[in-house]
Formats: sequence, C-alpha cells, structure tokens
Amino acid sequence: MSEVQRRKYSQEERSAVFDGEFMPHIDSMYNFAFRLTFDEDDAKDLVQDTYMKAFRFINSFEQGTNAKAWLFRILKNSFINDYRKRSKKPATVDYQEVETFYNSDDVDYQSTSDLRAESVRDMLGDEISNALNGLAVDFRTVIILADLEGFTYEEMSKILDIPIGTVRSRLHRARHLLKDILKGYAQSMGYGRYEEEE
Amino acid sequence: MENNNGSSPDRKLQCSDVSKCFQLLERILDGELVEEGEEILQVKLDKCQPCFAHFHLEQAIREVLKTKCTKQPLPDKLAESIRQMIQDPR
Repeated sequence: MSEVQRRKYSQEERSAVFDGEFMPHIDSMYNFAFRLTFDEDDAKDLVQDTYMKAFRFINSFEQGTNAKAWLFRILKNSFINDYRKRSKKPATVDYQEVETFYNSDDVDYQSTSDLRAESVRDMLGDEISNALNGLAVDFRTVIILADLEGFTYEEMSKILDIPIGTVRSRLHRARHLLKDILKGYAQSMGYGRYEEEE
Repeated sequence: MENNNGSSPDRKLQCSDVSKCFQLLERILDGELVEEGEEILQVKLDKCQPCFAHFHLEQAIREVLKTKCTKQPLPDKLAESIRQMIQDPR
C-alpha cells in the first residue's frame, strides 16, 4: 500500500501487471467514481487519472498483493485532492473531525425499528440507489467499500487511512442513516401508493 | 404481517442491549467474526426478536445494495482510451 518503490518492472512486466491485475477492476472503479462524483464525465476522468497514476507508480505495487484495494486507495485520494475541491457543491463538513464526538449510543434505534426486510426487498433500484446517494460522502464511501465491493474492515482502514475502530463505527452510523432514508421511502410506498395510481 | 416478520413465541420482545447486539450482528454479516460468529448468531436469532429482525433487515439491505447499485455501465471506449494513454504517455 505504501508508495515506496518495491522493485523495478520490465516493460513486459508492467504491461502484464497493468492488464492482468489492474484492468479487471475497471467496472468497480467506475462505479465507485460515479457514486462519488454523480457525474459521468467526472467519473470517467477520475478513473482515467487513477489508472495513469497507477501506471506511473507501478513500481510501488507488489505483484500478487491486493491490486483492487491499492487502486481504490489511489482513486479515493485523487477524488479528495482533485475533485472534491473543485466540486460546485458547497463543502461538506469533514465527518472525521466531528466523528469523535459521537458514539454508538447516540444512534436512535427506535427510529428505524419498524423498517422491514420485505419492504426493502420490494424497493426499486432507483430508490435504493437514491438512498445511498443521499448519504454524506464519508458515509457513502464506507457503504460502497463494504457492501458493494466486499472489502474487509482491514482493507477499508488502509484505503481510507483511518483506524479499524473508526471504520467500524462509521459503517454502523452510515447503515443507520441509510435505514432512516429507506424508512422514509417505505412509508411513502405504504401511504402514498394511491396517489401514484391516480 | 406478523408471520412475515418471522416472530416466534420463544423470542424475547425486548433486547437488553440493542447497541451492542446490533453492532455485533453487523460485524458478523460483514464477515469479521468468522470463528465465534456462528455461535453468537444462533443464540441471538433464536432468543431475541429485535436481533432477529435487525439481522434480516441488514441482510436484505446488503442484498439490494449489491444487486441494484453495482451496475453503472462503463462508458464506451474508456478501457481502450486508458490503454492508449499508458502506451503513449505525454
């Protein structure tokens, strides 16, 4: 994961690593980029930049280690450094700074206790997708990494440069916020259906 | 409605430590407690209705996220243009 140069690849080896270990993750990388930027062109640029950086720093990648986590880390850093700054949206509060003031006891479990698994399964793709997109970027990111991409807490800790305990608590809070949004949708499905049929 | 919820008379209706239990269940679903997870899970799901409901809700959310939020179509020629860029770096 570090940027220390580990070895020098020959031209053929570079191509082999790039094609064999980096390119297979392009769909996941694009999906991640799109869910961070919400814009097809920005997502495309972000993925291109990430692959260019990966190629430039390929000597610091150790063959056989987790290429997907390595690439996701570069993409996340590029997003923070290059894209988040120039985003037209107002700056979001950096959750990391306020996170320490929260603890899990602040989560109001009662608020989502009547959301049912069946209602969630009945929801449309757009509703699920909008709920995920409605989360602040730091919360959205942990859900994407854990649930869409299947990274372990340890891998997430390395991708995000935060301790495992923070991964765990941020994920728990993110899931709670997501359930809160889904509960709103579930209620509107239940009570608002007749209006749509009109 | 009650049946869909999977309620059982053997389960208690109040969880004594919701915060701790729910976080534990989420870690198990995340595959972080492989060895002890199975045993803890069995006890929680058999004995506690809020834990049972939370587990199944969390499982459903993970399923829908995985099936409905990972299919952003890759733009045409993106892979091709990346290959081009690394062959001809400016």
